[in-house]
Amino acid sequence: MDTFLHLINGGAGNLAAYLAAHVLLCLLPAFFIAGAMAALIPKASITRWLGRNTSYRVSYPAAAAAGSLLAVCSCTIVPLFAGIYKKGAGLGPAVTFLFFAPAGNVLALAYTGSILGAEFAFARFLLCLLFGIGIGLLMAMLFWRDDARHDAQTDALFAEQARIGTAATGVLLSLVAVLIAGTLKVSPLSATVASVTLPLPGAEAWQATLFDWVPFDAAKGEEGVSVQGSLLIGLLLLIGGAAWKGLENIVEGANRWTWATLGLAAATLLVAAARLTPQADGLDVAITGRVLAVAAALWAVLHQARRLAADAWQAWLWESWRFVKQIFVLLVVGVFVVGVVRQLIQPAWIQDLAGTNSLLANAVAVVFGVFMYFPTLVEVPVARMFLDLGMHRGPLLAYLMADPELSLQSILMVAAVIGRRKTAAYVSLVAVFSVTAGLLYGAWVDGVNPVWIAAGLLAFLGVLAALLAVLLRRRSSPAPA
Amino acid sequence: MKTVKILGSGCANCRKLEAVAREAATAAGVAADFVKVTDMKAIMAYDLLSTPGLVIDDKLVSSGRIPTQAEIRQWLSA
Repeated sequence: MDTFLHLINGGAGNLAAYLAAHVLLCLLPAFFIAGAMAALIPKASITRWLGRNTSYRVSYPAAAAAGSLLAVCSCTIVPLFAGIYKKGAGLGPAVTFLFFAPAGNVLALAYTGSILGAEFAFARFLLCLLFGIGIGLLMAMLFWRDDARHDAQTDALFAEQARIGTAATGVLLSLVAVLIAGTLKVSPLSATVASVTLPLPGAEAWQATLFDWVPFDAAKGEEGVSVQGSLLIGLLLLIGGAAWKGLENIVEGANRWTWATLGLAAATLLVAAARLTPQADGLDVAITGRVLAVAAALWAVLHQARRLAADAWQAWLWESWRFVKQIFVLLVVGVFVVGVVRQLIQPAWIQDLAGTNSLLANAVAVVFGVFMYFPTLVEVPVARMFLDLGMHRGPLLAYLMADPELSLQSILMVAAVIGRRKTAAYVSLVAVFSVTAGLLYGAWVDGVNPVWIAAGLLAFLGVLAALLAVLLRRRSSPAPA
Repeated sequence: MKTVKILGSGCANCRKLEAVAREAATAAGVAADFVKVTDMKAIMAYDLLSTPGLVIDDKLVSSGRIPTQAEIRQWLSA
């Protein structure tokens, strides 16, 4: 019984710490950005570069851009993948799109950055981009005959042209400014501009109660819940309640609850940006530079959003709310389970298996990623757990590259569209590339001379370029009967 | 009798679209047969790049978004 309580406590503590510390300044704006991308960026502004007659110099980067800007959920990923493959630029760009989408979208980037660090998010982004294009090129080369066999179907699906409106661009840029102002760790943002002490004598006792409820151990990477954190969790619950009434039917128009939701969301971001410290006689509220920066960015969002047409901002709010409903619930459950599991795993096991940046460690990480299936974004807190338990960052990246790309769901989906033979090739390529990415990033973390890493990367790219040349020569020669 | 098809693999947007479309049909007083298409190959037979898609009498009228009730009423009465 004691063990059971201990496990539940571990899960709840992990969840509370996440909600309080990590989620708000990154995930709240990220959900709004993802919603804005889904609703305000016309798909045709990118898909017009994915037609059948587009040069590969344009179609591969465009496929990566589509993965990054258009694809946050499977509603877009599957049809767009099938469309690019069957009616558009072909197998290569379709695979690039498929590989890059889980790592390059704004939710994944923001979440990875806030939980595992900006450098890690950047490495994940860059390596997924390079290797996504690499895997796409390789697949196109391996199966060039299938692509050549595609008859001259019209690519009317990709002919439509569209531009992103100026108001939509303004909204997107100001939302990104909120995200950056909220998460960037630089001195003008974390410096205290002014501070007041609120006469709340119970604050210190409340903090003691919180630490009693959620015991924490910095050595094990566990975090407690602060007074500020508890306030933020309360605000989050309020937002959830108000959003249910205000956003569920937003397509038909806004109501009072809609404005309440938005007001609460803004208030939550501002509270999260401040620094609250309980004292003996009250609660110290430090107004940081971050509060001012977030406030300015929020004002810019409001200013830009007022220029949007009614159906545009309603669609934006609906898409954001939909992502919250779809992803956040799974994330909450996932983080809880991770907290429980962490109590059961001995750090020594992880350190023995994947404590160093060896080929074996990277391969083990990839195999684990293939066989475990986690819902969208839950792979990130899982990765954090492994990091805290002593996993090397190289294999960790290999795992993070393999897991979302090669879940059972995505393998079945790919197989349904392109067939088993191509899927098998895709899966093996992803495994090889993920191990390579882990080794390269691990070497970088270990402080290996950057020249060597660059040389390794260049050699890898050189091989790809050579393969591409072969592909082009084959394409220009007539296909054998 | 109109045939209304909802194209989508069962994500939140598809369920929402079906609800909105049913309400619109009732409000417009149009008798309609609702069909849910979840098979990916059947969905890709239509030219769309993102679900949910709304098909009325075998014509794709919207994709990748949830139209308002007013829009759907218009399509139903056309």
